[in-house]
Amino acid sequence: MRSTDSKGRGPLALVATLVATAALALGLAACGGGGGGIEGGGSTAASTVELEAKPSGSVTISNWPLYIDKSTVPDFEQATGVKVKYVEDINSNEEYFNKLQPILAKGESGGRSIFVLADYMVTKMHELGYLQELDKSALPNVERNLAASLKHPPFDPNRSYTVPWQSGMTGIIVNKELAPEIHSICQLFESKYKGKIDMLNEVRETVPLVMKCEGVDPANATEADWMKAIDKIKGAAESGQIRRFTGNDYASDLTSGNVDAVIGWSGDAVQLQIENPDIEWRMPTEGCMLWSEDMVIPVGAPNPTAAEAFMNYVYEPKNQAQIAEYVNYVTPVEGVKQVLEKKEPKLAENDLIFPSASFTKNCSNTPTLKGTEEQNVIQAFDAVLNG
Amino acid sequence: MSTVRRRLVPYFLLGPGTIWLVVFFVVPLYYMFKLSLETGLVGSLEFSWHWANYSDALSLYHSQLIRSFVYAGIATLVSLLLAYPLAYAIAFKAGRWRNLMLFAVVAPFFTTYLIRTIAWETILGDQSPVTEFMNAIGLAPGGKVLATGFAVIAGLTYNFLPFMILPIYASLERVDVRLIEAAKDLYASATQSFLRVTLPLSAPGIVAGVLLTFIPAAGDYVNAQFLGGVGNRMIGNVIQSLYLSQSNYPSAAALSFVLMALIMIAVVIYIRFAGSEALMGEEAQ
Repeated sequence: MRSTDSKGRGPLALVATLVATAALALGLAACGGGGGGIEGGGSTAASTVELEAKPSGSVTISNWPLYIDKSTVPDFEQATGVKVKYVEDINSNEEYFNKLQPILAKGESGGRSIFVLADYMVTKMHELGYLQELDKSALPNVERNLAASLKHPPFDPNRSYTVPWQSGMTGIIVNKELAPEIHSICQLFESKYKGKIDMLNEVRETVPLVMKCEGVDPANATEADWMKAIDKIKGAAESGQIRRFTGNDYASDLTSGNVDAVIGWSGDAVQLQIENPDIEWRMPTEGCMLWSEDMVIPVGAPNPTAAEAFMNYVYEPKNQAQIAEYVNYVTPVEGVKQVLEKKEPKLAENDLIFPSASFTKNCSNTPTLKGTEEQNVIQAFDAVLNG
Repeated sequence: MSTVRRRLVPYFLLGPGTIWLVVFFVVPLYYMFKLSLETGLVGSLEFSWHWANYSDALSLYHSQLIRSFVYAGIATLVSLLLAYPLAYAIAFKAGRWRNLMLFAVVAPFFTTYLIRTIAWETILGDQSPVTEFMNAIGLAPGGKVLATGFAVIAGLTYNFLPFMILPIYASLERVDVRLIEAAKDLYASATQSFLRVTLPLSAPGIVAGVLLTFIPAAGDYVNAQFLGGVGNRMIGNVIQSLYLSQSNYPSAAALSFVLMALIMIAVVIYIRFAGSEALMGEEAQ
């Protein structure tokens, strides 16, 4: 008897409770008033940071993991008396943007005063009004030492809201024991490497490299060119040519011999080669992709004075040398090579850290995608990733 | 006075849990629902009763949805086949080793889920002994185990196995041994007494174990991320990429609701089929 009883009452009671809680929630939400939507920036005309006379207090800096040496932050604290909370909470440009976007839209920065994000992402944030213009009077080192090639990028012609953190190259990393003869992106599609290739899950790096294999210059690529390259990648994914799409977890596939070659980042190649001499960077014959990540000050950032003091501090060549020595990417600061020539001559000679113009002659800058073109391209590429 | 107070007691007891549920589940769910009906690009999303988000999500991602349910279903089945004998052995045969064995079941939880899954990357790597062995007996097509659907299902099974073992153990452990003795006294064979007495009495544990395994496994994305390759992504990966890489919040929200609805339907059918007495346990006998 009880069995039928509970069978009858159970679901009904459950439904009643659900309805009641839902009604309550709707009521609450109505009281709270909207708020869930996503609005554009707090201000369309970007504001300029307001500086105090002298940096003091504390400042929070968000950066990618392993993107600074251990002593720069303490040295800066000692030199300026500013207390730094340095958080390594950025793992992907898109993820970071999408996590912070709701608070940035309200004109807040989540307590952070500096973000380090890719060129295309800071461009997008700037357009949404999420970033502040810099006051260059506090950045004399940046004015003096910023590499000439980085002074006037198309997205920020006068570097009015960005200061480059590090630059780098995207190209091929091989396990030369397994695949000594790979030198081009086109070779990654050869059937003898079937299932032994990883490619980056970064649409703005992997797809343009494949375009270059097809003879298309990413700078002038149309949406059709993007889609054609994505189709080529899709074909390789479906045939089993490409094993995985990865972030920097390609490192474990390379070192354990799961793959012969990957599309990867120059700084990783330097570090992986130190651990395993079989791992080697290969500048694609088609050329590499060049990228930069920039320090920016978001709207609502507390203590911009200390933030700018930090930007200025890392543009002192001897301070930057310390970072360059650790991260092994391309440094944006002039004069670092001279410091390292005395300290670490081997690094100073490395083409991956101080690339000469001839080394990067075929390389392209990371292209900018906009609006619906961006949405279509990303959607098509993610459809390949999610296969 | 005291009767009023007594009548209010249950509400006080329910209060904290209800508030928790409303604030952290129902309210976010409402915002997600609202988001799932919006249109536009990030920065200019507008609420517009855009139900097409749902049909688009279904038509674009039905293959990943089906794949998720297939992977989760196989993982649940394998977990059940592994967990039942183990739980049975711990409950009836382990003697003084019982606590140690239970500890061994729970021990992996002392390491985080992520680390345990990443460890499988090494275990199943192309040059690992496991892969070499499987290749030798012809079970590793293409010479690889990692970056295949098999690896994803293996990871899901491994990660959710304890959620199957523990409820089954809990229900077996409560079985009154005298009932089994009685069955034997009435000339039931070992098989008959197991099928007619032990198994039905442990049904609540099986039902709970299946739900605790299947539901999280269907929405999981960690195993597919680390152990899967091209063509092994699950619906959780799609939702993650819609939300975090494509900035397509409405589609991500719509797909989450589709997943939730499908899981609820599956669960309702399952409970109908398995009988709610089994879920409610002794209370419903």
